[in-house]
Amino acid sequence: MAAVLPPTQAPSKDDYAGDEINALVLDPGSYTTRAGFAGEDTPKSVTPTHYALSKSGEHIFGENAIHLPRGDVEIKNPFSSDGLVEDWDTAAKLWEYAITSRLTGARQTPPSKNGLNDDPVKDGEGDTAMVEDMEKMEDEEQSRTLEEYPLLMSEPGWNPVKAREKTIELAMEEWGVPAFFLAKTGQLAAYGNGKATALVVDVGHQNTSVTAVWEGMVLRKSIMHSNIASSFLSDQIRHMFTTQQVPLIPHYMVKTKQPVDAKVPSNATYTNFDTPPHASFRRLEEERVLTSFKESVVQAWPGPGRLDSNTDAVKMNPARPFEMPDGWNTVFGPERFKVAEGLFDTKSAYPDPSTNSTPPKSDDSIPSLMHRALNACDQDTKAPLLGNIVLTGAGSLIEKMPERLQTDLQALYPNPRVRVIANSSSVERKYGAWIGGSVLGSLGTFHQMWISKEEYAEFGAGIVERRCK
Amino acid sequence: MASSGISVAPECIQTFNDLKLGKGGNSPKWIIYKISDDSKEIVVEESSSDPDYSKFREKLLNAKSKNKRGEECIGARYAVFDIEYDAASGEGKRSKITFISWVPDDAGLQPRMMYSSSKEALKRALTGIASDIQANDPDDIEHESIISRVSKGR
Repeated sequence: MAAVLPPTQAPSKDDYAGDEINALVLDPGSYTTRAGFAGEDTPKSVTPTHYALSKSGEHIFGENAIHLPRGDVEIKNPFSSDGLVEDWDTAAKLWEYAITSRLTGARQTPPSKNGLNDDPVKDGEGDTAMVEDMEKMEDEEQSRTLEEYPLLMSEPGWNPVKAREKTIELAMEEWGVPAFFLAKTGQLAAYGNGKATALVVDVGHQNTSVTAVWEGMVLRKSIMHSNIASSFLSDQIRHMFTTQQVPLIPHYMVKTKQPVDAKVPSNATYTNFDTPPHASFRRLEEERVLTSFKESVVQAWPGPGRLDSNTDAVKMNPARPFEMPDGWNTVFGPERFKVAEGLFDTKSAYPDPSTNSTPPKSDDSIPSLMHRALNACDQDTKAPLLGNIVLTGAGSLIEKMPERLQTDLQALYPNPRVRVIANSSSVERKYGAWIGGSVLGSLGTFHQMWISKEEYAEFGAGIVERRCK
Repeated sequence: MASSGISVAPECIQTFNDLKLGKGGNSPKWIIYKISDDSKEIVVEESSSDPDYSKFREKLLNAKSKNKRGEECIGARYAVFDIEYDAASGEGKRSKITFISWVPDDAGLQPRMMYSSSKEALKRALTGIASDIQANDPDDIEHESIISRVSKGR
């Protein structure tokens, strides 16, 4: 019951070296939105970026609400397939929800509306205009939810100028933050791993991005991104299920189940809905089953060489069992390697059986992205970048992915030392950019970096281009 | 560029200049810098005229930092070492003032983040650095690997 928990306290002064900054850190992704107080180890609020849109146009946010099977809502996402915000109005509401639901507390209902001041008898007509005026003023006051908290936000490296300006406008004008900063996820992840120079590979839900960071500067021309990411892997698993005739039934449809033997039709009863939930809801719930499949079964072929040239070696690996929510179960042998192979070699990806969509381009695979990013950098910088490859993002948690990237890159660049660094803590990989922002935002000395409200008032939204490079 | 905003204490530059100019027999051969415990500025932790690299390396390996709860953990440092080596073609000795940012991969998150985001401030303050090495594991600060990188001009 996330929504009714009392707001958590900001860390006390002693917790972060006595710096009296109560800054918030917001790291919005296309699958989850991470928010928390600067100085903490992990984001306290991790909210799904998907939201439910009801027929009446109401936006419903939050883990508990969106996973409730309802016939009258559609599941949507404010991000485009490019990993950028598409629907700004919803994104703004969602981010605000992510912050207020768990961190700062919901805004207070203005006294004129909370019911305590309602006059049982409506007084004369004369006052209404004034009351309305007052309500308007109060609304404006109250809507500035975050006016006590400086806000540090992250952004993808390819975020266009317009979107960056829109972000600072939103923070300054709608939320009324006293100070703001926008940092690139690649830079935060590099710093978080102790590197001012690094090639950051961030495997997210919609997008995988590769960013070269040189002496703390993001090399813009090096940034490469593609859709060969976690959501692509989900689709690969779906295609594999289709070809293997594996039934994918999400949890909400199952009422009861009995244990059955492997590959035997399930013995379960299913829930009947008067108005069945929207197809988008089923897709969201299937995604959760696929996520647990990824976590427990899928493994990248660690190399050397590609999967299809090692079929015998692959068969030596033990198969792993998986049970669907309705009890149907089997073991997955070579398939559990094959679904991940498309991330590294798009040619061996499962083709989409249902539609005639175009197969992924071969230079979108993760090693190709890295290759392209390095080619966009100066010759002199290649060796130091190859020695400092930082792997981050929740999508990078696929077993043996660091090993595979290491061998693929080594094959591409036999000469210089190649070193892929993947933090062994899954929390630090999942929340890499947020954690980096948390440390930065908690530093007392960082206050000179913030863009203050006054500066924004003087220079306008354009200041973000000059200050947050 | 997002950086920590941590400042550089004047003594850092003074000690560096002593090393650079090499005046007197007592001028330092190496300097180790650290971020002060209050996370406000970069200060000189130690400097020495002892040219023994292994002692210097030992000091980096044993560096400690405090995490935000005040507990000691594996720490990070910046260092400057006036590296001497034999020129490749036997043309005698060369020396290069080398900047090392030592941020071990197993250091705490707090020091990792702080040292990498403050490095530029110190590097910009020290003029006359010939070579810059980002070191993240003990192999990176072996004498041979430092020499091989320095002698290649980076």
